[in-house]
Amino acid sequence: MTKAMAALAEAAAEQERGLLACVHCGFCLPACPTYRRLGDEADSPRGRLYLMQAVVEGRLSADSDAFQTHLGRCLGCRACEPVCPSGVAYGHLLELARQVASDARPPPLLSRILLVVFGKSWLARPAMFAARLLRAVRLPALIARLGPSAAAPGPVRLGMAMLAASAPSRPPASSAKSVAAPPPSSRSSAAAVRPAPTAGVLAGCVQAGLFSRVNRATVRVLEANGIRVLRVRGQGCCGALHAHAGDLTAARDLARRNVVAFENANVDYVVVNASGCGAAVASYASLLAEDPAFAPRAARIAGRTLDVSRLLARQGGPAPGGPVDLTAACDAPCHLVHAQGVKNAAETMLAGVPELELVPLPDADECCGGAGIYGLSQRELGHRIAKDKIQAVLTTGAAVVVTGNPGCMMQIGAGLRLAGRPLPVLHPVELLYESYRRATP
Amino acid sequence: MTLASGISPGRTAVPASLAAALVDICGPEGVVLEEDRLLVYESDSLTAYRHRPGAVALPRTTREVQRVVRAVVDHGLPLVPRGAGTGLSGGALALNGAVVLGTARMNRILEIDPENLRAVVQPGVINADLSIAAAPFGLCYAPDPSSETTCTIGGNVAENSGGPHCLKHGVTSRWITGLEVVLPDGSKASMGGRGRSPQGYDLVGLFVGSEGCFGIAVEIEVALLPVAEGVRTMLAVFDRLNDAGQAVSDVVGAGLLPAAMEIIDGPTIRAVEESVFAAGYPADAEAVLVVEFDGSEAGLDPQVDKAVTICCRAGARETRSARTEAERIALWKGRKKAFGAMGRITPDLMVQDVTVPRTKLPEVLGGIYETGERYGLVVANAFHAGDGNLHPNILFDGRDPDQLAKVEDASKEIMRLCIEAGGTITGEHGVGLDKKHHMPLVFGPDEIEIMWGVRRAFDPKGLMNPGKVLPDDTAPRAVAAEPRLDARARTGSRGSPTPVLALFPADRVLEGEAAREWCGGVPTRAVVFPKSVEEVQKAVHEANRAGVALTPAGCGSWLWADGWGREGDVAVSTLRLNAVRHYEPAELTMTAGAGLRWDALAKAAAANGQWLPVDSPGSREGTLGSLAATGASGPLQRRYGAVRDNVLGMEIVAGDGRVLRFGGRVVKNVAGYDVIRLLVGSQGSLGIVTELSVRLFPRPEAVATLLFRDARARIVEIARSVCTSSLPVASVEAVQTDGDRTIEKGRASGGGQLALAVRIAGNQEEVNDLRERLTDRAGVQPAGTLLGAESDAFHEERTRWEHGAPLVVRIALLPSLLARGLEHADRLEALLDRGEFSADAAGGVVRVKGSPQAEDLNRLARQLDQASIDARALGGALSLANAPPDLTARLDGSCAGSAPRARRLKALFDPAGVLSPRCPSVPRRTTERAS
Repeated sequence: MTKAMAALAEAAAEQERGLLACVHCGFCLPACPTYRRLGDEADSPRGRLYLMQAVVEGRLSADSDAFQTHLGRCLGCRACEPVCPSGVAYGHLLELARQVASDARPPPLLSRILLVVFGKSWLARPAMFAARLLRAVRLPALIARLGPSAAAPGPVRLGMAMLAASAPSRPPASSAKSVAAPPPSSRSSAAAVRPAPTAGVLAGCVQAGLFSRVNRATVRVLEANGIRVLRVRGQGCCGALHAHAGDLTAARDLARRNVVAFENANVDYVVVNASGCGAAVASYASLLAEDPAFAPRAARIAGRTLDVSRLLARQGGPAPGGPVDLTAACDAPCHLVHAQGVKNAAETMLAGVPELELVPLPDADECCGGAGIYGLSQRELGHRIAKDKIQAVLTTGAAVVVTGNPGCMMQIGAGLRLAGRPLPVLHPVELLYESYRRATP
Repeated sequence: MTLASGISPGRTAVPASLAAALVDICGPEGVVLEEDRLLVYESDSLTAYRHRPGAVALPRTTREVQRVVRAVVDHGLPLVPRGAGTGLSGGALALNGAVVLGTARMNRILEIDPENLRAVVQPGVINADLSIAAAPFGLCYAPDPSSETTCTIGGNVAENSGGPHCLKHGVTSRWITGLEVVLPDGSKASMGGRGRSPQGYDLVGLFVGSEGCFGIAVEIEVALLPVAEGVRTMLAVFDRLNDAGQAVSDVVGAGLLPAAMEIIDGPTIRAVEESVFAAGYPADAEAVLVVEFDGSEAGLDPQVDKAVTICCRAGARETRSARTEAERIALWKGRKKAFGAMGRITPDLMVQDVTVPRTKLPEVLGGIYETGERYGLVVANAFHAGDGNLHPNILFDGRDPDQLAKVEDASKEIMRLCIEAGGTITGEHGVGLDKKHHMPLVFGPDEIEIMWGVRRAFDPKGLMNPGKVLPDDTAPRAVAAEPRLDARARTGSRGSPTPVLALFPADRVLEGEAAREWCGGVPTRAVVFPKSVEEVQKAVHEANRAGVALTPAGCGSWLWADGWGREGDVAVSTLRLNAVRHYEPAELTMTAGAGLRWDALAKAAAANGQWLPVDSPGSREGTLGSLAATGASGPLQRRYGAVRDNVLGMEIVAGDGRVLRFGGRVVKNVAGYDVIRLLVGSQGSLGIVTELSVRLFPRPEAVATLLFRDARARIVEIARSVCTSSLPVASVEAVQTDGDRTIEKGRASGGGQLALAVRIAGNQEEVNDLRERLTDRAGVQPAGTLLGAESDAFHEERTRWEHGAPLVVRIALLPSLLARGLEHADRLEALLDRGEFSADAAGGVVRVKGSPQAEDLNRLARQLDQASIDARALGGALSLANAPPDLTARLDGSCAGSAPRARRLKALFDPAGVLSPRCPSVPRRTTERAS
């Protein structure tokens, strides 16, 4: 039995949240985006848990097509977790099972390369630079615009569309308001009573490389709300992509690095503006559970980690800003709504922005199909899932889409571009920052 | 690589030619062939059994289903339908390498028709999704199994699923009105539909609950319920489970009819509270009782107050009411997810589904816990207390074979316990694989044989879901040749009735003129009055030997209709079988001999503040048996369901002399096929009903009937408006009444005035409120309002409306086509002497009565034919409840509905065709649509 298998077996044996807690009731079926589209129970959470159990019991080989295919098709969106009456920790089991699967059969070259690149900052930095360069010459945008097509885009075209979608897009110019709105209060009155809380922002890999503006906006917005933002040195990729892909060794190394970095920074809060990273940091304790020296430290850091929307809510809601005359549809990233249980994150952040109209997005809490590199590894299915999200966005008539995760931003942005309707896709914190900017005289 | 269990990744279990055919039909994504991928289909929600299918096909269309079925049966392989795999009896498991036909991709809602409160769906539509889709129209789909967020309507049809709210609204079979079915030979058949059952046997009712053994429902027509205007949910906390059980009986005994009453016991409370669905139940309680009322706002609070008082008197230590919708949902969530939450405290779970009469709850619960203790097993209970439907969950670890054996023994003991208390082995989960061995606890060999016969009538080759429902060792040895009706079956008596008459003393035989007179002028040879089931049985045996046709009868009030009785036949009246065998008011059920007259029944029930809410035409002159045999329902079915929904148990003497018992005294019962549905409305063609159990209801505290009078078009409009509203009216009837009442008779064809009688029932507050709001809705003041006894008298009179008329026509059409039905009524009425019509506006039945005039017979016949053709074109049906022979002889279209299947079913019960040979249920001609 490999080490990975032992880990899965142990988790399975752990009744409280293990496979055995699954009573096969089937409540997860309609929550699962892949089951709803394919109708095959092997593509449902219950079915995947059953396959995991079969592998642990030795009835099924980890190398089998069934195990490989159906685990591979899981988006990891964890929409099954909130509806599970038995409280099965599906996301955690999935990561363990993915490791078993990738031990038995190495994942495709492309995903291995990407994981290595994201995991090593000395590789990530030049790669991101190259990507930004490419983005700057607008080649990706050009490729994405090669006429909309109904079929699933090829990996190159999709990748380019995603890269193009990561480009900064200012919200459409609103009719300039001459009325000067009050500048955002800096909450100094509160600061007078007690010292301003400190926060460090998890910069992330993709977020830092392609969405540095979101990180900047996060810092500005936090500061405008009376939070002192400290720079956290030595941090890196959160390891979420590695964990999802089953490379738990790399994920643990990255986790340890981040734990140390944030310990040294000694901040009150670890603020995350990418929901995938937020969910990953929140589960650092269970990821490092087998490292008794590190696990409590990881738990402490995880306990201080908050999505930017939650920290603002905890501070009594974001300070008011200037008017942004737009209609926006708010998407709910899976790792925020399902994995972290944060509902209506974007709505709570933006509800107070004058003149901003938030329109409901049908099935907002449904996965967009981004799911890391899903669009590349499961082209057809990823495209079908994306298409439904794009359709939902377009029916709202909104001028911009708002979502709190870089993967979702790129996925939805790419989908819109490929559909020939390149609406801007913004992080809610970007839009909030825009509101603050417009308030400043 | 092959592992120990013999699963070879990639290996296909079915023949290559079948695999290729399935891929060709459903596409590569729609078929699962490899053994390793098939693993996940080896269990449904009952994980105690594992059976891996040979393949899984996931068709999207009816056409694809037909092709899959043909491909599989052509290869001689069995077939198992599967919805979401949430069943708890192993019904969707594929034995012997059967091919699973999954309906997950057939998930389209084909039609929502808010005008007629109906919808048509594909089988894979998720139960809750239908209610969500119907919500914008103010409608919902009433049955709500705990798995409603994931289980499919197709699966609900197969299992006849229940749910908490079935206490008030009835189980699945009440809400299924039509089916398109792919039969095991790949052909397609239509049953019912468009909101009504055609004449003939109730095949829809028979199909519902058949657990996938009869075919695959590919299109399902359901009735929708207007969403109740208000809901109140209260919770009572008890330190003793028995007190909670007592409170349930007391609530019902006090005349309240909650929408749901659920008990959650201590162990379950603790499991739920530890799960993500924590509902805020006190963790130290031994039971919580959730009671919910729905209906119009005004009537709710008084009911809750009453229930709170009753619970406190029964020993509740605390009561709470959900103050917000969120709290209400939380209260329910704890109950609905209880089963899954058990996963927190146990590796494996065996859920039982026994049903007992409500008053036996405390006693049986005690017995269940005692049984658990004796076997050293923990038993947790969360159940539909109002229906007496218990769900003892036995917690165990399946990896311990010793425990597994104990669980099986304990389960069987629990079932015995419940049967002894007058209950049954399954109330809503189905028999499936899990309980088939226990069927002989409930049914005798004859009943099981009949069920095999019914099954074979649909599936002669035995390829649909084999190994389920019926015990294997009871299977007919060989596939029987198609049972044939004896040639005599149509011709009536040939032999002399003397041997039959000789069985009875002279004072219980009527002959000659006396017999004729007793039968309302129908020239019957004789009438006999057996005093016991054995006497009925002897008479049937003798009739078989002598070749005498028997006509089952009650008090003879129906024999004038359609000339069932004929010269030479012997009427067997059940009038002497009229004892009330069992009546426990708190159980809301009554068991009595079929000969119990309506008056006696009504009187006994009324003495306990209860009633049988049935207003079928002619029911007041008849007996309980005739009510079931005719199966016709009146306008009250809008609120209380049809006759078939309220018959719980039946004892009959079949045409071959066997005494058969189906159902029982419990409200929910899905043990075996629903033969009762087949018997109700079978017009005496299958057996002579000797005993019946019916469901009673608390008599409403207040009743009123509002009579609106206006121009025809306005009345039709008001009727639509009332019927589609959420106002809980009991019945809506358009009437012409004589001048001696508040209403004058509107005579002018097409344009004259009509009256609309809207009946309301409830507590005083509700009725007062509804009176006002109905008036608002109608936009006109009622021409009269009948209160209390006056209202009752009015409706009693209506049930006698048809009686004695030489011609009675019933035109069934969708309620939205009321105006069209009335047009036909006008034309028919004009050709009749003393012609008159009335309409059940909610049920969509227009009735016309009168005396045909000799000079108009031809025109009348033509008019009837035309109306019949028109009704059928619109999906409805025209039937004659009574017509003189000289008129029927002139009709060209047969008004019969059913099929060769009906003849096979008849042959099962009555192979020699001794009973009701001319009964319209058994058609002469094949009119079943097939493709």
